[in-house]
Amino acid sequence: MNYTSFNKNEEFFVDMQRCIGCKACEMACAECETNGQESLIHVNYVDRASTVQTTVQVCMHCDDPVCANVCPADAISKDENGIVHTANTERCIGCSNCVMACPFGVPKKEESYDLMMKCTMCFDRTSVGKKPMCATVCPSGALFFGTRAEIQEMRPNSTPINTFIFGQEVVNTKVNIMMPKGSTELIIY
Amino acid sequence: MAKLPVAEENIVTKFGPHKNYSPKDGYPGRDEPDALVKTHCCFCGMQCGIQLSVKDNKVVGFEPWMEFPFNEGRLCPKGVQRYLQNNHPDRLLSPLKRVEGQGFVPTSWDEAMSKTVSEIKRIQEKYGNDAFSMLSGVSLTNEKSYLVGKFARVALKTKNLDYNGRLCMVSAGAGNKKAFGLDRASNNYSDLEYAEVIIVAGANISETFPTLTHWIWKARDRGAKIIVIDPRMIPLARTADIHLDVRPGTDSALYGAMLKYLVDNDMLDHDFIDNYTSGFQETIDAVKDYTLEWAEEVTGINKNKIREAAELWGKAKTSFLLHARGIEHHSKGVDNVVGCINLVLATGRIGRPYCGYGTITGQGNGQGGREHGHKCDQLPGNRDIENPEHRKYISEVWGINEKDMPGKGLSAYEIIEAIHRGEIKGLISICFNPLVSLPNSNYVREALEKLEYYVCIDFFLNETARHADIVLPGSLQEEEEGTTTSAEGRVIRIRQAVTPPGDARTDTSIILEIAKRLGVEDKFTYEDSEAIFNELRVASKGGTADYNGITYKRIEDNMGIFWPCPTEDHPGTPRLWEDKKFKTPDGKAHFNPAPYKLPGEVTDVDYPVILTTGRVVSQYLSGTQTRRIGKLVDQYPEPLLEIHPKLAQQFGIKQRELIKVSTRRGEGIFPANIVETIREDTVFIPYHWSGKKSANQLTPGTLDPISKIPEFKVCACHLEPLNEIAPPSKESTAYASV
Amino acid sequence: MKNKTYNTKALLIATGLSIFMIALVFFGSRKLQNFDAALVTYLFGTVFAFFGIVYRYSVWLQRPPTWIYFKRGITYLVTGKVFSHFWFATKESVENIAFQKFIYPRGKYRWVAHFMIAVGCTSAFLITIPLTFGWIHFAMAPNTISTYEAYFFGFKVMDFELGSIIAFLTFHALNWSSYLVIFGSLYYLRRRLTNPGLIATQSFEGDLLPLILLIAISVTGLGLTYSYQFMKGFAFDFLAVLHAVTVIMFLIWIPFGKFFHIIQRPAQIGAHIYKKEGMKMGMAVCPHTGEEFATKLHIQDLKTVTEQLGFDFSHEDGTSHLDLSPEGKRSRLAQAHLKARLEGGNLFG
Repeated sequence: MNYTSFNKNEEFFVDMQRCIGCKACEMACAECETNGQESLIHVNYVDRASTVQTTVQVCMHCDDPVCANVCPADAISKDENGIVHTANTERCIGCSNCVMACPFGVPKKEESYDLMMKCTMCFDRTSVGKKPMCATVCPSGALFFGTRAEIQEMRPNSTPINTFIFGQEVVNTKVNIMMPKGSTELIIY
Repeated sequence: MAKLPVAEENIVTKFGPHKNYSPKDGYPGRDEPDALVKTHCCFCGMQCGIQLSVKDNKVVGFEPWMEFPFNEGRLCPKGVQRYLQNNHPDRLLSPLKRVEGQGFVPTSWDEAMSKTVSEIKRIQEKYGNDAFSMLSGVSLTNEKSYLVGKFARVALKTKNLDYNGRLCMVSAGAGNKKAFGLDRASNNYSDLEYAEVIIVAGANISETFPTLTHWIWKARDRGAKIIVIDPRMIPLARTADIHLDVRPGTDSALYGAMLKYLVDNDMLDHDFIDNYTSGFQETIDAVKDYTLEWAEEVTGINKNKIREAAELWGKAKTSFLLHARGIEHHSKGVDNVVGCINLVLATGRIGRPYCGYGTITGQGNGQGGREHGHKCDQLPGNRDIENPEHRKYISEVWGINEKDMPGKGLSAYEIIEAIHRGEIKGLISICFNPLVSLPNSNYVREALEKLEYYVCIDFFLNETARHADIVLPGSLQEEEEGTTTSAEGRVIRIRQAVTPPGDARTDTSIILEIAKRLGVEDKFTYEDSEAIFNELRVASKGGTADYNGITYKRIEDNMGIFWPCPTEDHPGTPRLWEDKKFKTPDGKAHFNPAPYKLPGEVTDVDYPVILTTGRVVSQYLSGTQTRRIGKLVDQYPEPLLEIHPKLAQQFGIKQRELIKVSTRRGEGIFPANIVETIREDTVFIPYHWSGKKSANQLTPGTLDPISKIPEFKVCACHLEPLNEIAPPSKESTAYASV
Repeated sequence: MKNKTYNTKALLIATGLSIFMIALVFFGSRKLQNFDAALVTYLFGTVFAFFGIVYRYSVWLQRPPTWIYFKRGITYLVTGKVFSHFWFATKESVENIAFQKFIYPRGKYRWVAHFMIAVGCTSAFLITIPLTFGWIHFAMAPNTISTYEAYFFGFKVMDFELGSIIAFLTFHALNWSSYLVIFGSLYYLRRRLTNPGLIATQSFEGDLLPLILLIAISVTGLGLTYSYQFMKGFAFDFLAVLHAVTVIMFLIWIPFGKFFHIIQRPAQIGAHIYKKEGMKMGMAVCPHTGEEFATKLHIQDLKTVTEQLGFDFSHEDGTSHLDLSPEGKRSRLAQAHLKARLEGGNLFG
């Protein structure tokens, strides 16, 4: 793998309240060379009957990825840049453990391939210093890829956090979510 | 004559719409393209910068163009998928002729041209010049728009030329001309950044202009308050500070009441009103009875919300008001527009940084296209075809006798009516699909069937083209050089990335060839697109939309130039009215009275529900292009009837049950989507589909008396649940519906 | 993921099975009577590979998620309608192991190429391993000069005439395998060298080296044939050593590298059985979307497995974050985020 040009100064920042549900990211995701026209980002209505709220979810690239832990085939690995890679095609047995265990609902089982596929933060692009496709096209800034200084300047009243609490579990991630200024964590009840 | 030659299903099988998907590993050569062409999206008025990847004279993919200042790489789903058109299986590759019983069969250019020219001559000799009409569209570049205007007046010698901008922002254009004497958004979008209050009226920005969202959110990051006026909770409204859920057709009552509130509470910029405007007194007199209580009664919006909105607007130091089709597609669209402008003028917040106003033009070149003469009453430079001086100037530029310049013709829907009445017998169309995009589509179809001769120029066989005698395969936006003008008034460069495939030709060369065969070659000889643009510059010189100082090179060097730009050393005008010198005859901005009137059709016992129409993010206008792109179709495969749970309960409607929606003009069947995000008295259907799935079977042909825009946004309908649950959306074939 | 440097249980199993294997070689070759001494290096390589595979397999099986699949798979296979289960497992094996049908939707050419490599490798293994172990040997039939007899484990299984088609096919079987492997591997090599997505994510030792090894084995193997058939043994010894080196590298690499997937793949059938049996026991319904999304068994087992792995997604009220479907999880996160944003007083900024 090409690690030499990986941009270590830029980070991923997500703010789903800015999401307008347009799915430009979904279309762009499929253009990512690692995805073979499959879209691995998720945009969905939160509860269409009552609101137009949508959410957008990229892989959060956990420090200790649950998906890799529950994989019976050792098909998921994390690299030295903290990128949790998609399933190794020859190992993945399509069991969906990762799909059901990921607390963020990220991995996607491609039934016809009997294979799990997931977001690699556009490794084909980030590994050569470009920004991920989804964050490049996102028209609302729900997905942003850049430096901490840039996001601080653009959104001074928000704080990026990367600690999430699901039940008793504390999950730390590489990707940040923008929260009210001063927040340290997001509790998912 | 122009009935379908074979069953519509057969035409669909052969010419689509078919869904196009990129191959799994992308088109061959995507990874090592011959060129990355910096151009713009072919769709909406935002005209986002994009780079098209080209390999072996085919568009094989795209790369974001990070440097273009408006969008900095950002795109919407349509923009991401736009590259799938050049390589599309439905692409027309040779001229087609209608053969009864066989359908459309390939023919030679020579035969197609000869037939067209002889029919034009026959019809014009028999019925008069004006019996041959032309319909055009503003996805065309400035060069082509200008050329079409000249072609119709000089080569066809008909007055009956109009364009699909008629369904777009003509109400805004008319309102702007009345108020400012010039038709352009007053500011570029970077003035949104520090606006304190933003009103978005009838503009579903996040679905129809997604990339503009960035600028609105940017303002909100800096603390801007946002007021969204829309009958539905659109994505922008969900997080808005105030959502005014207006009853369709009552917008002017809302603006009137807000204006009265500003007057009553003295939230006015007296200095600006006294020195730079006229008509204030008549205008406020017209709304003197518009109390908040009255407005609540008429518009259905809680009066406290109206008060809050008026307070926010009144107290703001900087602001931006944006509107779009939601307030313009009305029989009183111009009233709605001037109603908005009155709010802007009353507070004097225009012509300064972060004080803005503008309509958001819908079509790719909705702005530039409407300035250079394919509108029935207009000549290049946004000149008036009935103004003797304007006629004289353009006649000189064109080298014709002023007496030979036709006068004002019929507007788009009126042309259809004249065809229906038998007054117009022939039609040439380019870049327009009236069978889907005009209201009352059953009536439009009857009209098309009465035509003696219809020739259509298009790159796909759109639904209207199925009624043609001859179809000429034209070019996609990326197959010809040119310029467009974005909704901000920024003139930008469209690049030829590839040449037209097969026997298809550029639109320009087709029009020039017909002109030549009509015997006016001397007036229709250009070396290239730039030569046409240079003539346009001269033609626009001294007009309100003055492009004289804009050259291809200057556009390229500066990533766009804002008109007006009278001389080559003029920097362009991103923000209008900084000098407070308006283009009206008296040099002042005009208040215009906008008393509330009822919409063209109101609900009654037989048709008790308000129907409104609009768009979805994955489709564009009549869908000729976007209903052919697989992933865009899959994102929203069929039109759904959005209905509030309370109204659904009243009619006993269940989720996804098929509902027959009828109006006085037609009926259609749509699955119900029961959502709380719409007014209780209103249902919504998006209009991108054709045939039995067309929302425009239902809409009325009522026109605004000034702008002649049809009233798409409000009519009365009846709902009948059919007691049958619709199959899953993903199985729908609505994209190809016949 | 938290393994110590060696695993006692696995070591014991691997050692035991390797001794058993050596015993089989001893008896299968009729006390080394039929053993071809020239193949002794290959024998050591194979035994080492066998040891490694069993060790790795045992370590692998002990991981909680793998063990639960293994346990469930075996249990379901031998309880209830045993015949129908075996029929299902057989059908699945043919489709997924023999024909690798799941690759077809990923790409037609990818499937063809993979199938060529798979057939080539399998047939080569089927021939060479028994040969190496002395389980197969050929002998001239007594009292003839043209009839060959093939023995397996010391028992005669067939005979054929020299110069017959069967003889041609049998003696050249390894060559046919080589061609299949070469063409298949070349396709993948080309793909890995040109597809930008693969270039970005592949590693030399993990992805390219295995293909190069396969090609090297096949080319040197073919070289041996052509050397003695057409080139009077030119460079035969050199090629023989080169062939042995590549083969042994390949064998030793199996437990650690890409080729382990050959051993691992049957787990896929386990996953299918697990899903099929789980469906009979009922589906889990997402409390957010109200829709079925996985088998109850799967969600239940995952709760156990995650707990064993040190993750605790349970809430105080006894429910678990894992009760939610992926869509439900994403939606709940968005709702929690909206709530936090609203409490913070500002959705933007």
